[in-house]
Amino acid sequence: MELKNLCEMQGISGREELVRMAVYHECVEVLGEKNVTIDRMGNVIAHKKGTRRNAPSVLLCAHMDEVGLMAISYTDDGLLRVRAIGGIDSRVLVSKRVKVGYFTPDHEPLNGVIGAMAIHQQTAEDRKSVLPIDQLYVDIGAKDQDEAKAKVPEGTPITFDTPYTPFGDGMLLCKAADDRVGCYNLLRLLHAKTKYDTHFVFTCQEEVGCRGATGAAFRLQPDIALVLEGTTANDMGDIPEAQRVCLAGKGVAISFMDNASIAHPALFQEMMALAEASGIPHQVKMSVSGGNEGGAMQRAGSGAKTCVLSVPCRYIHSPSTVCSFTDIEAQYQLCKAYLEK
Amino acid sequence: MDIFAYLEGMAAQHGPSGQEAQVSAWLAERFKPLCDSVTIDSLYNVIALKKATRPTSDGSPAPKVMLSAHQDEIALMVADVLPDGTLRMGSVGGVDPRILPASTVMVHASGETGQIRQMLGVVGATPPHLLSEADRGHNYKREDLFVDLGMETEAVKKLVQIGDLITLQGPATRLLNDRAASKTMDDRACVGSLLCAAEKLQTMNHLCDIYFVASTQEEVGAWGAYTAAYTVDPDLAVVLDVTHATIPASKPDTTVPLDAPAATYGPFVQHKLLDRLKKTAKDYGVALNTEYATSRTGTDTDLIQIAREGVPCVLIDLPLKYMHTTVELLDMHAISECGRLLAHFLSGLTEDWGAELWN
Repeated sequence: MELKNLCEMQGISGREELVRMAVYHECVEVLGEKNVTIDRMGNVIAHKKGTRRNAPSVLLCAHMDEVGLMAISYTDDGLLRVRAIGGIDSRVLVSKRVKVGYFTPDHEPLNGVIGAMAIHQQTAEDRKSVLPIDQLYVDIGAKDQDEAKAKVPEGTPITFDTPYTPFGDGMLLCKAADDRVGCYNLLRLLHAKTKYDTHFVFTCQEEVGCRGATGAAFRLQPDIALVLEGTTANDMGDIPEAQRVCLAGKGVAISFMDNASIAHPALFQEMMALAEASGIPHQVKMSVSGGNEGGAMQRAGSGAKTCVLSVPCRYIHSPSTVCSFTDIEAQYQLCKAYLEK
Repeated sequence: MDIFAYLEGMAAQHGPSGQEAQVSAWLAERFKPLCDSVTIDSLYNVIALKKATRPTSDGSPAPKVMLSAHQDEIALMVADVLPDGTLRMGSVGGVDPRILPASTVMVHASGETGQIRQMLGVVGATPPHLLSEADRGHNYKREDLFVDLGMETEAVKKLVQIGDLITLQGPATRLLNDRAASKTMDDRACVGSLLCAAEKLQTMNHLCDIYFVASTQEEVGAWGAYTAAYTVDPDLAVVLDVTHATIPASKPDTTVPLDAPAATYGPFVQHKLLDRLKKTAKDYGVALNTEYATSRTGTDTDLIQIAREGVPCVLIDLPLKYMHTTVELLDMHAISECGRLLAHFLSGLTEDWGAELWN
């Protein structure tokens, strides 16, 4: 599947159905129906036998869900009250466009905008203080509460409206790069000539606490788990070197540790050496920050050797995530080299 | 007129105050089929004349009416290129820094040759987990934010000069109930009302010469309208600008409802002309709300009123939510109703329009 389709597809945590079915069909196409299942959490699990006997079992995962908003109630004049699903800094929401509801064969999402009081009418205090999400509204143009409620039932998912846009020198501007880039690479890896007994897992609900990965890891209990992620790059602006985490455009970021897991030292070293030997652009994630499905993988059952391989993303969890095509390709190449080496 | 198509077109034009070359050329083309002559003056004002269609009874010169709505937009400029290739921003007009984080912008890079190259950029900021507890509770100031062009510093330095313009991005988005949101509804939506009026007047008679003016430099002080009023030398003027529509945080008496135009009263507006406008609205069934301005209106009225020896003015406002953001939201029906009101007002101007003005 094209990365453009994956990034523009809508799927907030708990409502991954569009991504799930797209991913499921592609897995079936590549590996056959009997090798693909959707589990009780809504993860898509695809299985491929390895070419080597008695090889360890390997699990690769990427999450399907993205951060977004959910409609919870309505003002008298027909604005939508919303809450964030996943971690969103409310400062990135002001003056942005959203899609309310999902694209389906018989339903088009509504356009919505998130406005705020005009600068002319703000007090000095307004200018300073951050507008919390309960003072931000999605405006769909409804005339009153009844119309808003009829068009947008409670719980309706809302996603950023950001067209997939390559820009600058080899960079990509989009929504949901975290973690559709991982899904994109995982789909490409279905074709790898893997030596290992391999499970490709497209997980749900990562952004609300790695709910999907926990169940999938328990079910599969792999020997080795590789997590394909999108992670924070703080590499622009006045950020001290040590706080930059990783740099967009400088290769796949290999984590020795984050807030959720510690990479198995031998696996970490193996990944570093493999990237080096194969000429794959790579970097060590410089700081212990962020958390991801590595934790679920590392500590499911009696545990697995894990390593997290990330595409650095600037302005992550905002409508305008920026990442590098070089890094997306590097994540794929490193995983492919590992499976086929 | 297909108003949404017009909004899509106008939102794609760049025209910060003082730099309206592109948008003025685009607007001039819109007026050409509807008017007798169209000129663009040295401040980029578009002045489109539709001559009187019936003569005065005594052969005296037709009264001249100037209609003004501004075409310029608030924007930013490159204030500095930082060592990592990101850009610091300065302001051209009142840009609210709250709208900027994670926004996309267009950098108009002048490069070494002066040949403008448009480059997409993203506005970034220090992420919240690296901010102190206190800073996390504050909005980002413009000085804290930067534009990321997705390029290495060397490439940026070759292409971008300090002073290059940065425009906001906000395509026209269709909402429910004939409502739409885009950048620069302030005030190109009102230019849309002028076009609606010009279109309606194709099949109506009027004894006044009508000067449709898409004015410039309003966001920095109505400077374009001032020189255009000198050029036109009107007998009276009708100004169209946007005003604030009600949102949940609005205070009493500071906003008007979204779904109909409003007329301003107060010292800068000639009260008899306002009465005439209100009567026209009533006669033709145009919903018209009112609002007040105790002195300056913050529109072209402020300078047109004192151009040359003075010009009696009326001011019509299109209500808008979220002014000076990239999601300025208004009612497209109000745009066409405003045009209809204007057409009837102009067509209904009789030779004795000025007789009772001052008593």
